[in-house]
Amino acid sequence: MNNYDIYLVGVGGQGVLTIGEIIMVAAFQKGHSVNFYPTKGMAQRGGFVKAQLRISRDPAGAGIPEKGADLVISTEVSETLKAVRFIKPGGDVVLLAYVSAPTDVMIGKAPYPTLEAVAEQVRRAGARLTVIAPDSLPSFEGAPVPDNIFTLGAAVAHTRLGELLDPASVETTVRTRWKRGIERNLFALSAGLQSTP
Amino acid sequence: MTTKLMTGNEALAWGAVHAGVKVVTGYPGTPSTGALTSLLKMKPPGVYVEWSVNEKVALEVAAGAAWAGQRALCTMKMSGLNVCYDSLISVAYSGVLGGLVVYVADDPGVNAGMPEQDSRGFAIMADLPMLEPASADEIYRLTQTAFGLSQDSRSPVFIRLVTANADAFAPVDLNDDPPAWPEREAVLTHDIERFTKAGAAICTAQHRDLIARLEQAGRWIADAGLNTLTLGKQGGLGVVAAGITTAYLTEGFETAARYGFVPEDSSVLQIKAVHPFPVAEAQALLRRCGTILVLEELEPHLETGFYVEAQRQGLSPTIVGKLNGQFSRLGEYGVRQVVEGLGAALGLSLPHDLFAGSDEAETMAAARPITVCAGCPHRGTFMAINAAVRKAGFKKNQVMVTGDIGCTILGMNPPFNAVWTEVAMGAALGLAEGYVHAGVESPVIATVGDSTFYHAGIPALINAVQHQVPVTLIIMDNGWTSMTGMQVDPGTSEDYQQPGDRPLDLAKIVPALGVEQFWVVDPFRVDDMAQTLKAALELPGVKVLLARQECVMPASRRGDRAGHTTVIDENCNLCRLCINLTGCPAITLGEAAIEIDSSLCYGCGLCAATCNRDAIRVEATEEVVG
Repeated sequence: MNNYDIYLVGVGGQGVLTIGEIIMVAAFQKGHSVNFYPTKGMAQRGGFVKAQLRISRDPAGAGIPEKGADLVISTEVSETLKAVRFIKPGGDVVLLAYVSAPTDVMIGKAPYPTLEAVAEQVRRAGARLTVIAPDSLPSFEGAPVPDNIFTLGAAVAHTRLGELLDPASVETTVRTRWKRGIERNLFALSAGLQSTP
Repeated sequence: MTTKLMTGNEALAWGAVHAGVKVVTGYPGTPSTGALTSLLKMKPPGVYVEWSVNEKVALEVAAGAAWAGQRALCTMKMSGLNVCYDSLISVAYSGVLGGLVVYVADDPGVNAGMPEQDSRGFAIMADLPMLEPASADEIYRLTQTAFGLSQDSRSPVFIRLVTANADAFAPVDLNDDPPAWPEREAVLTHDIERFTKAGAAICTAQHRDLIARLEQAGRWIADAGLNTLTLGKQGGLGVVAAGITTAYLTEGFETAARYGFVPEDSSVLQIKAVHPFPVAEAQALLRRCGTILVLEELEPHLETGFYVEAQRQGLSPTIVGKLNGQFSRLGEYGVRQVVEGLGAALGLSLPHDLFAGSDEAETMAAARPITVCAGCPHRGTFMAINAAVRKAGFKKNQVMVTGDIGCTILGMNPPFNAVWTEVAMGAALGLAEGYVHAGVESPVIATVGDSTFYHAGIPALINAVQHQVPVTLIIMDNGWTSMTGMQVDPGTSEDYQQPGDRPLDLAKIVPALGVEQFWVVDPFRVDDMAQTLKAALELPGVKVLLARQECVMPASRRGDRAGHTTVIDENCNLCRLCINLTGCPAITLGEAAIEIDSSLCYGCGLCAATCNRDAIRVEATEEVVG
């Protein structure tokens, strides 16, 4: 497979950078060249987080050009909009449709986009949208599954990322990443892989 | 050789270790922080590593080590280079005995705040060589090259990264069998001609030596082939790329080739040593090409060099860059600039929307101003400032509150809107003094974090005491350098200091500076703090409040909690007062009552203090240290 560029957006604390790191490691283990450029701003939780992951470009600059991303992974409805101009026509968007409302939105002082409005922008950019409803996620031993790992599984299952990474290589990466909680992460990955788009 | 994935910062750390570095100093600053953090984790044997109190001291420590014959590395962000520049210019005049590499990270595109400064200009002004690797692997190798260049040319050498390679992960071919550096004895060299600036004769001689060292470094760089020139067709296009922009050439050429660009016809100069200007390569390129495309982020330093060289050669090429209006001096460059630059230089017909995605979507996104974490003690300070101003009978727009650098500046954002200014490390109090002298009659408040106060705030306090300026300083002491990811500072608890290090106590330092009106307050007890602050605002002279409570990040990582919060649903009428006043990210609006996310809540109790219906109760887990 040739070059594959992934643009990730979300809010600090959601684990969107972890998705990127797992794909980075899995792709690297498979012999692909990778460049992963996370931008998380400051140390605080709750801010805008983005990352650019470029696979199989050698040598690669870190930045994905506008209309260049084969895949956008977003873990927050509104933040998806910041990735729209990077979507390549014909690309994929996987959205974990979580809403993290800033204070001004919560107190009714500022607007927040609807999921439909976000979907419309993605459509206009010419991409296929896969929406994961946060309340549709399965639970594992009574606790919600890690939603970022579920989203990763869904991205592998429903986009061309699956042509680059087989489920087994992602599973190996997930297995080696954590010392604890491996089972729940593997469960989340497997559930994401089996999810229906 | 082992290929590993790592950030540019970590690659730089490995490069320094494999070049035999002995002393490493620095001050945290995004995006440079990761280099020294990596070294603290690696604990390479025989290498001394410290977070220094500020970049000036860091540079001086590193220079001392280099004058004693060792190899030293000093790390900082661009703002830090400004702080240490006085010493650096002087050290540049003297040269070094061992090796001194100064790593500075710039932030084109302003990912982290502060000016979009191009530190290449500092290399030019200091007559110091500067290397600018693009990929992580290049960073690893060129860091080692930088030490060789420094030692051989007896000059400090800059290595400059930008956010896009300092913080990005990429493969690095690590040497499994790095050269074994013999233990070098420290040497003492008594030579006032070199190591002092006593008089015109000495300084002029040093200036002459400095210029000679830069010329020598230029020859060393040429011999080492750090800048690569590939010549294409006579009369074809010349492409010049520097540092990070070289990483986009292959991709840009591929894209432009779809629109008629012929890569083989073009000459390409890739510049990894941006200073001194690569005169010989530039001349060769100018002789070959009638049009030159210059790709460099921020300031047109290399481009200007091409105009100068062309003039010296009696040539008048077309130069496509910033000075002809093609490119911006703002932001990060990427594939787009390569392709559009080629398009402009060669008259290619590119589709107008080749890189133009829709801007409309982004304008619909919810604004997300960064705020302090749930459980951050600064929240209490900002709330106390707003309450004290009100209690003292002033409106918010009547009381100047100057801000400093770090998390403490987040008080400028909603819902606090408490802090008015941000300038530089330690600048808040000096600014505040200026407002007083300007004739502002309402109280003037300055705010600063602990690390920032140690870094550059202490002289301003001495100034205020000496001149008896009626001003109130709030030192927000959370015990860490937090904004950059929780580095140890001089006041961090002994548990986290390096073995043998000893923490300092601001509660002893402030009175020792001659401050007579001094209070230690607990920002989680917001009413008490507001009362103390109000009283301070009404007193003459210099007043200092030390608002003390540890940064929530390390505290919660230890499993600490200030308390446990419970929402009494039937008492909550969803008035939103708690959200309006605290802006705490752990609080959300539920159907019938507010909800508090227990995974985020630290139990600071600030929300409970805002509630007038007893809808939030907090039970302290321990006596909060005041």
